[in-house]
Amino acid sequence: MLRDAKGKRPSFYDSPALDQMMSMIMVLAGEVSVLADHIDSIERVAAKNGIDLAAGVAALELDQDALEAREARRQAMLERLFYVIRKEAAEAATAETGEGYSQTIAEIAAG
Amino acid sequence: MLNTFQQADHPVLPKATHDERSRQEFAKGMRGYIQREILPGLTSLYRKVSSSAATALTDRHQIRKAMIREPFFQEYAALNRTAQDLLWASAIDSIEHDWERVTDAADALADKGGELRLNPDLDVPRYVTALDIHCMPGGYASDADAEQLAAGALYDRGVYLYSMGYSGPLSDDKGRSVCNYIKRNLKGFSPKRILDMGCTVGHSTLPYKELFPDAEVWGIDVAAPLVKYAHRRAAGLGFEVNFAQMNAEKTEFEDGYFDLVVSHILLHETSGKAMPQIFKESFRLLAPGGYMIHADLPPFDLMDPFTQFILDNETYYNNEPFWGAMREMDQIQLAKDAGFDPDTIRFDTAPMAVLEFAAASASGYSAEAAEGVADRDFTAGEFAPGGGWEVLIAQKK
Repeated sequence: MLRDAKGKRPSFYDSPALDQMMSMIMVLAGEVSVLADHIDSIERVAAKNGIDLAAGVAALELDQDALEAREARRQAMLERLFYVIRKEAAEAATAETGEGYSQTIAEIAAG
Repeated sequence: MLNTFQQADHPVLPKATHDERSRQEFAKGMRGYIQREILPGLTSLYRKVSSSAATALTDRHQIRKAMIREPFFQEYAALNRTAQDLLWASAIDSIEHDWERVTDAADALADKGGELRLNPDLDVPRYVTALDIHCMPGGYASDADAEQLAAGALYDRGVYLYSMGYSGPLSDDKGRSVCNYIKRNLKGFSPKRILDMGCTVGHSTLPYKELFPDAEVWGIDVAAPLVKYAHRRAAGLGFEVNFAQMNAEKTEFEDGYFDLVVSHILLHETSGKAMPQIFKESFRLLAPGGYMIHADLPPFDLMDPFTQFILDNETYYNNEPFWGAMREMDQIQLAKDAGFDPDTIRFDTAPMAVLEFAAASASGYSAEAAEGVADRDFTAGEFAPGGGWEVLIAQKK
C-alpha cells in the first residue's frame, strides 16, 4: 500500500529539521509504549501459567535465529522511525509545494 | 476519563497483531491526549498573543499569522499532524499483513447482502483526488489499490482511530444520531427509500436499515474501493443494504425515488461548484414531503474568529482543502435555491449516540467514559465538539 499522503506536509517550526525530529520522537515514544504493552502481556500470560520470567530472562542466551529476528525487528522499527524524511523525499520527487496546496484550496473553493 | 473504546469486529476488518494493535492504540491515545491536555492551552496563548498584538486580530487569517510564530502552537500543530500520520501508518501495517484473509473474506461475501453497482467509467472529481483527504495515504480512489478494496479497509480502521471510538464500535454514531433525530423530531415520518450520499464504507448508512428495517437503503460514493468494501462490510454484518459508485452531484436514480436523502461529513469534502449541485440533486431525488438532512460543519458566521481559526487548522494541516471555504457557504440559501420550502430549512443539533454504546455494553465503552464524551461543552478542535452533530434539514413540499 501507499505510505505517503498526497499533499505537502506543513512545516510547523522555523527549522524543517525540528518537524522531522518531532515525528521521530513520537514514533519512538510509540514504540516504547508498544514494548511496555508487550512485556506486560508476556508477564501476565506467564504468571497465569505459574512461570517466573525474571529468572528465565536473566539466564537466556541468544542463538542465531534470535539474533536474526531481533535485527529484522530493529530494521523495521527504523523504517517507521524515518517515515517523515521519506515523505519529504517523496514530495520532492512529485514537486508538491505549499504554493501548490494553496492553489488547490483556491481552485476547489471556486469549483 | 480513560478512553478504552474498542472497535467491533466484522469479517472484512483487518486483524492486527499484538504489536500492531498497540501501535494503533498509541496513535489513538496520543490524539486523545493532545485534545484533552494540549488543545486547551491555545486559548491562554491566544489571549497573550492578541493582547500584545500591534493591531487588533479581527479575523481567523490574522490570528493564524500571529499564532504560527508561537512555539506552543507549533508543538500543538506538529503533534496533531504526527498523530495523524501515525494512525494511518499503524493501520496500513495490519492491512498488509492480513490482506490475504481480508480479500478471501470479501470474496466470500460478494453474493451476500444487497446490490453493488460499480461504474468504471465514472470520473472521480478533482476535489476528491487533488490531495489525499485527511492525509490518508493513497486517498479514496487510488490506482495503486489493485483489488480496489484496500482504501475501504484503511478508512474503516483509520476513522475509528481518528474518532478515538467516539463514533461507536461500528463508527456509526452520525447515522444513528440522525436516525434518532428523525424519530424524535419528525414524528410519523417513516421513509420507504433512503439515500446516503458520500457514504464511504457505509458506517453511517447501516443504522438507517436498522432503524427503518422495511426501507430500501442505498449508499453512494464516487470511490469504487469504498463502496465495494461498504458492500462486503454490510453483508458481513448481516445487512441488506445497496451500494453504488455514483456522484452525488448527478446520480442515476429517477426523479422522486427517495423519501429521505442524507449525508454525513460529505459536504466539506466537495467543492464550491459541487455543493449547490448536491442540494439540487437532493431536491430532484426526493418525493414531495421528503426530507434532505446533511450532517456536517456549521457555518463560520455562527462562531467567533478564534474558534474559526482552530477549526480551520484542518484546512491547512490535514489535507482538507474545502474545510474552511465550505463553512463560508450560505447553506440555507443553497437549500432555498434548490427549491426546498424556506419555512422548513434550518440548522439543528442531533445529539451523539455514544451513551447507547455504553448501554449496550460494547467492548471498552464504560458508562463513565461515554458520559465524559456526551457531556462535554463545545470546544473547537475536539472531535465531535459539544456532544452533538450539526445537521441542516429541509423539506420538499
